[in-house]
Amino acid sequence: MKNYIIRRILQMIPVFLGILFILFFILEQAPGTPASNMMNPKMTPEQKAELTQKLGLETPWYERFVNWVAEALHGNLGYSINHKKPVTEVISDYVKPTLLLALISLIIAVLIGVPAGIISATKQYTAIDNVFTVISLIGVSIPSFFFGLLLLKAFAVDIQFFPLFGLKDPLLMSTSPVDKALDVAWHLVLPSIVLGLGSTATFMRYTRSSMLEVIRQDYIRTARAKGLREKTVIYRHAFRNAIIPIITLFGFWIPSLLSGAVVTETIFALPGLGKISVEASFTRNYPLILGINAMLSILTLIGALVADILYAVADPRIRYD
Amino acid sequence: MKTKTKKLISLTLSLLMAITILAGCSQTTDQQEQPKTDQPESQQPAEEPKAEQILKFGGTGWGGIFNPIMTDNVYDGYVTDLVFEKLVDNDSEGEFVPALAEWTISDDHMIYTFTLKDGIKFSDGSPLTTEDVEFTFKTIAHPDYDGPRAYAVSTLAGYKEYHSGETNVFEGIKVIDDKTISFTFAEGEAAPANIQCFNYGIMPSDYYAFNTWEDFLALNEKPMGSGVCVFDSWEPKQYIKLMKNKNYWDPSKALQFDGVLMSEVPDESILSALQTGQIDFAQISSSSENLKAAKAMDNIHLFNYLGNGYTFMCFNCIRPQLEDVRVRQALMYALDRKSFINAEYGEGLAEVGMAPISPASWAFPDSSKLNAYDFDMDKAAKLMDEAGWKMESDGFRYKDGQKFHVNWLVYTDSTWPGTLSGMAADTWKQLGVELEIELMDFDTVSSRTMEAEVGEKDFDIFTMGFSLDPDPDPTGALFDDDAYVKGGFNASGYKNPEAMELVKQGKAEFDTEKRAVIYKEWAKIMNDQIPHVIIAYRNELFGINNRVKNMTIDTYVMFPQSIRDVTLE
Repeated sequence: MKNYIIRRILQMIPVFLGILFILFFILEQAPGTPASNMMNPKMTPEQKAELTQKLGLETPWYERFVNWVAEALHGNLGYSINHKKPVTEVISDYVKPTLLLALISLIIAVLIGVPAGIISATKQYTAIDNVFTVISLIGVSIPSFFFGLLLLKAFAVDIQFFPLFGLKDPLLMSTSPVDKALDVAWHLVLPSIVLGLGSTATFMRYTRSSMLEVIRQDYIRTARAKGLREKTVIYRHAFRNAIIPIITLFGFWIPSLLSGAVVTETIFALPGLGKISVEASFTRNYPLILGINAMLSILTLIGALVADILYAVADPRIRYD
Repeated sequence: MKTKTKKLISLTLSLLMAITILAGCSQTTDQQEQPKTDQPESQQPAEEPKAEQILKFGGTGWGGIFNPIMTDNVYDGYVTDLVFEKLVDNDSEGEFVPALAEWTISDDHMIYTFTLKDGIKFSDGSPLTTEDVEFTFKTIAHPDYDGPRAYAVSTLAGYKEYHSGETNVFEGIKVIDDKTISFTFAEGEAAPANIQCFNYGIMPSDYYAFNTWEDFLALNEKPMGSGVCVFDSWEPKQYIKLMKNKNYWDPSKALQFDGVLMSEVPDESILSALQTGQIDFAQISSSSENLKAAKAMDNIHLFNYLGNGYTFMCFNCIRPQLEDVRVRQALMYALDRKSFINAEYGEGLAEVGMAPISPASWAFPDSSKLNAYDFDMDKAAKLMDEAGWKMESDGFRYKDGQKFHVNWLVYTDSTWPGTLSGMAADTWKQLGVELEIELMDFDTVSSRTMEAEVGEKDFDIFTMGFSLDPDPDPTGALFDDDAYVKGGFNASGYKNPEAMELVKQGKAEFDTEKRAVIYKEWAKIMNDQIPHVIIAYRNELFGINNRVKNMTIDTYVMFPQSIRDVTLE
């Protein structure tokens, strides 16, 4: 197992570099430059040219790629053009809310989706199953901005129970960390519901189909025939086997949650990575685009590795030598 | 499954579907309850130590560069306008008046001498002297400067030598004493618009002194100036807290409440935030639905004023189809701009454009003397015939065997280019024009038009918007022949020496009346030749809670300029 992990990590390096190379190449080919966004009519073409030159965009892209990788290995991801700050600082400013939101949504999805899926599978074709199925279909189909605005209208405008925007209350009087944490949690309730709904629905569907498959197996029949309680059959035996495909989902879910939160972050005005990365694309903020995407690529690669390891841990039949 | 159960289930399911569909349709705002006067968040402490009076502004788009010479963003500009003060400012007519200093101009208009008012202090107590003024402007000219304001100093004498690093002395800036400083412009650069160069916040030289450029940039998020507010905190993309400057040097003009909070509120939530009182004021995007909804809210009052800017359409005049002015005019006659404005903005929120000057400006010509190109398909057809483009049996016009085909670069970042081009596709087809609409993002449009090399500008038509300065000088913008280069703002390729002469004359003319005559004549030429067509002048809309008294927002007046008069109930 240890050798396997080491091999996989070594494999990640050329893959990662390859991803970066393609990314660089695509950015180079895409039309538009950071200068196209400098729309101040008083700026003369010479001044624009000078600014472009200061950004170092005159050197050929393969040269810039090598420089970028060399610097990145030292932890220097360059300067964000629009923020005039190091990319690492910009990312660390905005990454926490996104991570928090992604984590909470994942927890909600697992805590609600998985049990719902199990119930749905064990009570297949009953009223509960159908209700859950309908809810999950709604959850998967409903556009997140629509759902978010709906929740806001219901719970933040008509009944002013939840805050309308932001991550914290700027005028909060107390300075105790507990109060501050509660404040943030309160602001995150609605966004987590929105983001969590889609994931919950997906987890529910996967769990349900996986369970259904397992329940039909012979060993389940044997367990029942042995006289074990139904609860033991389901949770100790069936679930353990059904969980395997879900685990593989886990690994990929974190990076997709991180990047998929853009709409939710915009609606709820959460200072997250999603909005920043979209802005960066529109303004051709190359250093920031590269920095964020490099981070996401690493997370995806690590996620895949974690999924494979968990897979081996959960299923003793799997050997990686 | 029994039939009865089946029926029950299908009923429930169709009910659920109906609910979700109905919920989507009925998104109208119903004003049932009076918004509460205090914050609705339930975790607010029961009693507050002292109720601070905070003015709450909502918007979206702060970049975090709170530096008056580095920022190019309206929202960051609000912060710098409150934390810093400028030498001059503009009044509600767009005229420039003294702010921190009085000034005199030499007879040849080349030397501007500023005398600072007495007793000006930064918020940390240190005095504001001409050393700080010199520092501010020298920093813009610094060799490492990478902000957008180079033009504020680039016309001063000695700029090139200082900026290239050749010398440490900026010839055009002379500190005469603690309170007096003079700026000398380079040969041939005298112009009334030059006063705008001094419209930037003055930065304290001790606080901002730097060894490397990175040191300077590191203070972007920790501004300190002489203005009515001090910077308290910034949570990126969440809010900015500014507190009242208790050491403000002119107590009679200090802030009359405790602080300003600027929160990041997404566009979709602005009206709700105003309604529930979570913000006190915000700009509302101009549309007839928003205006109607805003008018129905009884806890706010509205400012609906002409914005200082315009939207335009650019013709690539070196293309064979578009080089004849009659063709361009025909295309305009075949474009129903009035309907477009009603559809896109709603009545009263925009006007049909005619000249590349804002109607709020003193230089705006008499609109009766200009051609509004009212929608007239017959006139359009006649002009096309005159220009030699004859209608063939396939419904398109041909000349010398060439079909009349134009492409239009439409960016999707705003909705109006899409609406306008959609309308044109219909009416221009009737005219016999084959219109190809290309959709892309703003940056791509810019790179194919203005950023492209001359000779590689790949478009026939594109549309965009501009905002203007108080001074109407059009140099460097759409109609400047010299701006037809890579990176310049004129992508049309249209050259008119007579019109350029007028622009040059107007730039240097200090007599406002004579200047107005020149610009009016120039606007008439541009209105006739239309290498660029001014599509519309849009209004801007601000909603302000009734508890905020004495705030004024207008074409030339942004809220920081009237904030000293404001009181909160």
